[in-house]
Amino acid sequence: MIEAAHLHKSFKLRKPGPRKGLRSLIGGPTFVKEAVRDVSFTIASGEFTGFIGPNGAGKSTTIKMLSGILHPSSGSVRLGGIDPHRRRVETARTLGVLFGQRTQLWWDLPLRDSFEVLGAMYRMDPQRRRARLAELDGLLRLGEFLDTPVRKLSLGQRMRGDLAAALLHEPPILILDEPTIGLDVSAKRDIRSLLRGINEELGTTILLTTHDMDDIEQLCGRVLVLTDGTLSYDGPIGGLRSRIGMPASIEATYRTLEQAQAAWSALQRLDSASLAAVGLQERTLTVQCSLEQSRFMDVLRKLEAYGELEDARMREADFEDAVQRLYAN
Amino acid sequence: MTTLRSVRGLIAMHLLLIRFSFRSSMQYRFNFWFGTIASAVIASVEFSLLAVILARFGAIQGWTLTESAYLYAVLVLAKALYRSLASDVHHLEKYLVSGDLDGLLLRPVPVLLALMTRNFSVRVGETLLGASMLAYSLAALARDGAIELWVALPLTLAAVVNGALLLFGIGLATAAMGFWMTRIEVLQNMTEDAAHTAVRYPLSIYPGWLKALLSTALPVAFVNYWPAMFILKGAVGGWTLALSAAASAAALAAGGWLWSRGLRSYQSTGS
Amino acid sequence: MVFFALARASFSRNLQYRASHLLHNGASAMFGFIYLSIWIGIGEGRDLGEYGLSGLVSYVALNQCLLWVTSFTTFGLGMPQLVRTGAIAIELARPVHLFYSMMSREWGTIAYQLLYKSLPIYLLYVFLVPLRLPAGLAETAAFFAALLCAAYLALCIQYLIGAVSLWTTEAMWLHWVNNALLMLFSGFLVPIEWLPGWLAWLSRWSFYPSLQYIPTRIYLGMDGIAAVLPSLAWCAALTALCFAATGAMRRRTEVQGG
Repeated sequence: MIEAAHLHKSFKLRKPGPRKGLRSLIGGPTFVKEAVRDVSFTIASGEFTGFIGPNGAGKSTTIKMLSGILHPSSGSVRLGGIDPHRRRVETARTLGVLFGQRTQLWWDLPLRDSFEVLGAMYRMDPQRRRARLAELDGLLRLGEFLDTPVRKLSLGQRMRGDLAAALLHEPPILILDEPTIGLDVSAKRDIRSLLRGINEELGTTILLTTHDMDDIEQLCGRVLVLTDGTLSYDGPIGGLRSRIGMPASIEATYRTLEQAQAAWSALQRLDSASLAAVGLQERTLTVQCSLEQSRFMDVLRKLEAYGELEDARMREADFEDAVQRLYAN
Repeated sequence: MTTLRSVRGLIAMHLLLIRFSFRSSMQYRFNFWFGTIASAVIASVEFSLLAVILARFGAIQGWTLTESAYLYAVLVLAKALYRSLASDVHHLEKYLVSGDLDGLLLRPVPVLLALMTRNFSVRVGETLLGASMLAYSLAALARDGAIELWVALPLTLAAVVNGALLLFGIGLATAAMGFWMTRIEVLQNMTEDAAHTAVRYPLSIYPGWLKALLSTALPVAFVNYWPAMFILKGAVGGWTLALSAAASAAALAAGGWLWSRGLRSYQSTGS
Repeated sequence: MVFFALARASFSRNLQYRASHLLHNGASAMFGFIYLSIWIGIGEGRDLGEYGLSGLVSYVALNQCLLWVTSFTTFGLGMPQLVRTGAIAIELARPVHLFYSMMSREWGTIAYQLLYKSLPIYLLYVFLVPLRLPAGLAETAAFFAALLCAAYLALCIQYLIGAVSLWTTEAMWLHWVNNALLMLFSGFLVPIEWLPGWLAWLSRWSFYPSLQYIPTRIYLGMDGIAAVLPSLAWCAALTALCFAATGAMRRRTEVQGG
């Protein structure tokens, strides 16, 4: 459904810093920034794919190339087999796009009017538009604010309206850029269940970028990770966990206070990459370790070297933290 | 056949988008009416400056008050038509800076058409002013026997339409530079504002190099001066009208070419 | 001191864009050139009264330079933007009077435009047009006094336009109408005594001549320092109006709940 092959995008940028006199008129020195380097992937029909990466990794640039806004410097994009850069108007019909940071609705008009304009832009006959709107209303519950000017909608309502606008022309592909940004917890939950419904009930292929790892964990069967312009991971979410070598934390409770303190100071001196003491509370020592590099039992054995353990408990680490660490490397 | 249908489709879409744009601006009725009145006041004040001078001194380089009113009226009408036609093409810079152009690129509608219908305004004030000045000027000239009204009127209307296309071509070419430069206000100040101001007055008052510039590289003189030289004064041949049409065709071609080149090298904002 | 801090800040903010502004001066000089051409076209073989052709050319050229100080003041002093974002309520609540802080800021911009816009265009005209140099030291001093009044008046006018935006949401049109009236009534292109009867009367009783006509006549040595008196009267009147407007704005934002 979506094919990206060897996508490259480089921008010519001005060198930062003050420019004086003529320099600032003609532009001064430039340098080439490679925003995206050799990115290839294929997304099948009906897939729900997450697209993540730190800020500035080239996510937006990639999304913009996929949707036909930017021309790739080299490489190619196909949407349903068609090149969006040669036949933009044609692929635009097969594509629904939502930018969470920016509405595509007519700001001063009631929501209903936006759908009327969009219906005309996509050349839907009014009957089909009304039927589709009824269907989307069932899914997104638009009825209550359909006649409200967009500028007066709450952020959650606006996002639902934008989502309906992106889906009105029955696109087989939906690209979402930060659809949950700025929403409160319940609105986020709301949007997520709507997205799941769209994917499952309408069979829409969805590509989602987000900074919220909960979005990814709860929705996406597959994750693409972009770091520094290149695709560093492409696969199921479970694989991402093991690939990162999720840091787990273990809380070990010693029999005596002295044993715990001895273990604490010894581990501090040890300075090991695979095992680090991060906290001590009374007799309970918290350590972090990468379970990729050492097994749970090995870790326990190391800890028991300082005294007998009364209790040991493993906490699975936060996925979000883990991904942040992945970006940091 | 298919091209005919797609052209008809585009026109239908154009009208529909304009309707919505208009509905949107009517949300702020007060601003709409105040804006209409204000623009008519501004245009009439601009002309009255020249009128005051001519009322006192008679003529400027052989151009009387009625003839100057004709020049001014044709320019105002052409410009009003151009700005209604182009709408936010003139404000491309705003879209480039904010990144709003991205949203337009997602629609199955040519970007130029989308911009041409954004923030559409009819410019009632300028149109009424221009029309009444034109009526005054043509009536006075016909009374003096300087022109034959039934010849001059249709030719003048053709000149207005042609002038609007010419200004549109220049505006489009200037705006398209924004795809490379982003900031185009200064450029627009020269190719549009200064150029339009220059041809409010008869071209004959300017030194040779400026006359040449305004008749070739930046051919705004073909909006009103050269057509008027034929329609009012008969000082040049009818080929001037053909030349005016050629000028607007060239400007539109240049604008269209730059636009499509520019759109391809659009870099969007951010990363 | 608040005044200098604010003025300096806006001066240096403008300074960042001086290269593009210098380019802009080319366009501005071009506008002046168009207006000069009108008078040169008229002046051939005609009597231009006490000005004479060369005097009138200097008159129009200087007026074009002065525009940057007396009429291209920031639209509404930036207040419409504050109204749109709602920041105006905060500005009104500050311990410094809104008019004072807005004015201080604008003086920085005015100083910048005098140096980087009016002055380059002036020098260009002195060499190319030619624009006459001032008659003497006393005339120069009187001219600067008149110019100071003009800049202050322009600033007051924009403050009032900015205040109106609190009621009308859009004040851009008012700004343009003001600019158009200025072109006609300030004597910018046509000395006001040449306006037909009722227009001349309207002009004489408005503040517009203080912006262009009075400083330019003084510069050319056609009027003495006494010509500044009406400008001073207008400065006092508009200052009072600005203070009244600030009071009304306060009440307005209080009603809206800030």
